[in-house]
Amino acid sequence: MGHSDGDHDDLSADDSPWSEDIWSDDNEGSLSFEDSGEGSDAESDETDALAAEESDSSEDEVAPRNTVGDVPLVWYKDEEHVGYDISGRKIKKRDREGRIEAYLRNADDAKNWRKIYDEYNDEEVQITKEEAKIISRMLKGKTPHTNVDPYPDYVDWFEYDDKGHPLSSAPEPKRRFVPSKWEQKKVVKLVRAIRKGWIKFDKPKEEPNFYLLWGDETDTADNKRQGLSYIPAPKPNLPGHEESYNPSVEYIPTQEEIDSYQLMYEEDRPKFIPRRFDCLRSVPAYEKALREGFDRCLDLYLCPRTRKKRINIDPESLKPKLPSKKDLRPYPRTCYLEFKGHNGPVKSLSVEASGQWIASGSSDGTIRVWEVETGRCIKVWKVGGVVHRVAWNPQPDRHILAAIVDHDLLLLNAEIGDEEVQMRTKKLLHIEELAPEEEETGDKKPAVKWVNHDKFDGIMLIHHKAVSTVEWHFKGDYFTTVVPSGDSRAVLLHQLSKKHSHHPFRKLPGLPIAAVFHPSQKMFFVATKKFVQVYDLQKAQIVKKLESGVREISSISIHPGGDNVIVGSKDGKLCWFDTDLSTRPYKALKTHLKDITSVTFHRKYPLFASSSEDCTAYVFHGMVYSDLNQNPLIVPLEILRGHSSSDGRGVLDCKFHPRQPWLFTAGADSLIRLYCD
Amino acid sequence: MDAGGASDSSRQVRVRFVTKLPPPLRAPPTSIAVPADLTRLGLSEIVNSLLLAASPGHQTQPFDFLVDGELVRLPLQEFLLAKGISAERVLELEYVKAVAPKKQEDPCPHDDWVSAVDGSNRSFVLTGCYDGLARVWKNASECMHVLEGHTDAITSASFINRGVESEGRLHVVTGSKDRSLCLFKFDTSVTVPKQIGAYKILRGHTSSVQSIAVDPSRDMICSGSWDSTIKLWSVEGSEADGDTVSVKKRRTNSDSSGPEESQFEGSATSTFLGHMQCVSAVTWPEQQTLYSASWDHSVRQWDVQTGKETWNMVCGKALNCLDCGGESSSLIVAGGSDPVLRVWDPRKPGTLAPIFQFSSHKSWISACKWHPSSWFHLVSSSFDGKVMLWDLRTAWPLASVDSHKDKVLCVDWWKGDSVISGGADSKLCIASEIGIV
Repeated sequence: MGHSDGDHDDLSADDSPWSEDIWSDDNEGSLSFEDSGEGSDAESDETDALAAEESDSSEDEVAPRNTVGDVPLVWYKDEEHVGYDISGRKIKKRDREGRIEAYLRNADDAKNWRKIYDEYNDEEVQITKEEAKIISRMLKGKTPHTNVDPYPDYVDWFEYDDKGHPLSSAPEPKRRFVPSKWEQKKVVKLVRAIRKGWIKFDKPKEEPNFYLLWGDETDTADNKRQGLSYIPAPKPNLPGHEESYNPSVEYIPTQEEIDSYQLMYEEDRPKFIPRRFDCLRSVPAYEKALREGFDRCLDLYLCPRTRKKRINIDPESLKPKLPSKKDLRPYPRTCYLEFKGHNGPVKSLSVEASGQWIASGSSDGTIRVWEVETGRCIKVWKVGGVVHRVAWNPQPDRHILAAIVDHDLLLLNAEIGDEEVQMRTKKLLHIEELAPEEEETGDKKPAVKWVNHDKFDGIMLIHHKAVSTVEWHFKGDYFTTVVPSGDSRAVLLHQLSKKHSHHPFRKLPGLPIAAVFHPSQKMFFVATKKFVQVYDLQKAQIVKKLESGVREISSISIHPGGDNVIVGSKDGKLCWFDTDLSTRPYKALKTHLKDITSVTFHRKYPLFASSSEDCTAYVFHGMVYSDLNQNPLIVPLEILRGHSSSDGRGVLDCKFHPRQPWLFTAGADSLIRLYCD
Repeated sequence: MDAGGASDSSRQVRVRFVTKLPPPLRAPPTSIAVPADLTRLGLSEIVNSLLLAASPGHQTQPFDFLVDGELVRLPLQEFLLAKGISAERVLELEYVKAVAPKKQEDPCPHDDWVSAVDGSNRSFVLTGCYDGLARVWKNASECMHVLEGHTDAITSASFINRGVESEGRLHVVTGSKDRSLCLFKFDTSVTVPKQIGAYKILRGHTSSVQSIAVDPSRDMICSGSWDSTIKLWSVEGSEADGDTVSVKKRRTNSDSSGPEESQFEGSATSTFLGHMQCVSAVTWPEQQTLYSASWDHSVRQWDVQTGKETWNMVCGKALNCLDCGGESSSLIVAGGSDPVLRVWDPRKPGTLAPIFQFSSHKSWISACKWHPSSWFHLVSSSFDGKVMLWDLRTAWPLASVDSHKDKVLCVDWWKGDSVISGGADSKLCIASEIGIV
């Protein structure tokens, strides 16, 4: 029936026949009930009607009773009826029961509280207990029906971890494990869009197309961008009170002050002299206008258009970090002793190996031996010629003094030490006359002739030309002399025990100046004017050639370790060579104003010194490390003054005490000074 | 005294003068107020006037003042400020006689530099000279004896018996640069033989003998030398043994000294090795210990019996002189190649810092000596030509003697109240009447 019809209708349309069915059913039910309860009072009739209403849950069921619609009932206030029923008849208002009546009824009937007056239909409706309960629950804000639980416990139907059996026995599909193809396609699409520029992330900044017309010109950030180097003019000072046309009296200089300005230098004079005018009208034209305009133009024309880079560097920080002088003690500082006695410039001095005596040679023709501890002269040889150089034999039991007197070399017995030593020395300084006779046969004059010197009981080595320096080998048997003008026989080696001389160095790069032995190995250093040649004596070959780069070498000294050489030059430069490092100077110290006369190393302390014609001697700290990676440390320590100049010559020689940190200096003022720590 | 004027200008300090001097020099122990800007001179004047008031016959003399064991060398106010002493309380000023030489005796001329001097005998002074002769001066005026024997300069000389008990006979040892020590014996009562030869020569050093010292029991000598050894010699020793040696080694040129004199040679009984350089000074204060100073910058203490060094101190300067003294003769004073005289206390553990430093000299210090009886007083001589007297209680010199024209090489106390010094001007100078109690 209706079921089949309503199949294609919507849900609400589908519902109506059902309700009609029920409605009809109910009607029948209520009818039957009415039948059974016929003849009852109006009240029962009403209850029937109520029951009939009650059975119907829909509100529409009540509507046919009063058909006035949704109008305010006030309209029927004064009428006899409240409305019309479905057939158009008036529904009469019931009589109003009095208050007493209502009270009595309330007292009589226990169910009376459940009665509600229906104004619309003008009747009293009694609600059931269930309905009352629902109302009371709704008033309390609960769900209307008691058997509805709004917060039931959550039942996780789909948990299957703890369960014995999974909800589904299907294996995990492959797609759970492989990356999604579609996602990848989408990503590729986006990537391509980004690459081609279809998608842009940051929008380009909008450049303002306006600018501060009167903005600060010194803001160079903008100017830089233009590529031009913009140099803002310096800001003039703001005018003060004194520049007013009528300044206060205290600004006006007195006539005396104005006069005193004339005595000042032009740069120091004040640029502006305040003046008073009664009114602005009387202010004259600016007198310097033309001049300043011209200057301004000149400035613009001549102004060097360069930006001055100011660098704020503390000059102290540019100095190399050197250890403090205090930490490098001891070193010679003050002169405590003077050795007086010579009558001419002391040209050379030498300290005996134990440090008890020193010997000095002077141009007054004497060689003197001094006691170090008291400064007493204990021996004088009057050799009669200018003594250029003296050198003690470095062996402590051979008190032999080698001295260059005029052209030749003199070996002297110093006659100190005990008898045994003196006897040995005497024997050493005696030569048999026969040996040198045979060598006379050659047509060339021999380089050296060994001759007994009777006057001083020594040996004279007569060279073919003037000798300039003499140096001992550290073992005290060999010594070397340099004959600067000797050509191929310029550097000679002598052996004291055999009284034999030879000249192994035939070819030299220039005039030889000095020659020294290595302090411990069989090496030999020859200093020519510009170079230092290092020879290996055993292999008889040149090992190294050091280039000094100075004008003329005057002296040379070897570090006791043997790997470092210092060289003093005639232009006041001192060069330190580290022979392991390079053949060029490791450091060149331009210290002296005049020629360096002598340089020397201390044998025990890390000290070296240089003496110069400018009457000073410099003492340096020169630490050589055994670690090959560490360069020598050179620190200038002290300038030793005290000698006075004589004939333009200053300090002629300096030597360290072999055991103490003391320096002896020989001066042209015929003094020897001892500087102690 | 212008007390009125002084009180206006400055504050006053209440002082009480105390002293350990004998009664005629004892001032009344009442406290008096004195101006706070008084110096030593002013205080001395006050004490003198107090003493004069007590005994009219008092002779005015200078005094030195001690506050808490420190000599007052500043105006009183400054001194109190510097020491942080409150000027509110009564200040106890102890006064002692001022130590300064009052008289310079005539210098004794020598032929050469005077390098050694010994004043341990009360009536004789022994000097060593660079001409190789030692001289004995009686009462510091006439040269009694000339002691010959050395061929080079004498560096050190000492009396072996210095007491009065052997007045008749003097026993002397000298050390020289000719590497030997000579022993001399002579009679002081006989004045005729002026020249005396050595009766014994001690050889063994291979270099100059630099200093000698005699032990307290007077039968051992120690010597320090440039060969960096210290040697011990016995004075009398094996007389017979020495005799046999002398027969063999008698020098051929000894006939000049006269046939009646025999000369013995002795050798060292032991040698102390340890110093690296010249042993420049030795001193033998106690029987068992001797001290040595060296150019290797060290001061060493040696045990005489074992010959081992028991204490070693490095001071950083080459040392020239050394002496022991002070309280229980345990302080060491040494000077050397700088103008500072330093005093060490070897009993102080863990530190090598000097406890006193005196630095008024201008050049190397050549000699220093403690006063034989006073704990506080020192004398030092320097190459700047000055002899200075020091008190441990103040850093300023008590007095400076300027009698030498050249380097002073040696100095010693004599008779407790004089200072004798020899120098490179070939003079022996004597400054006497130094008031050390």
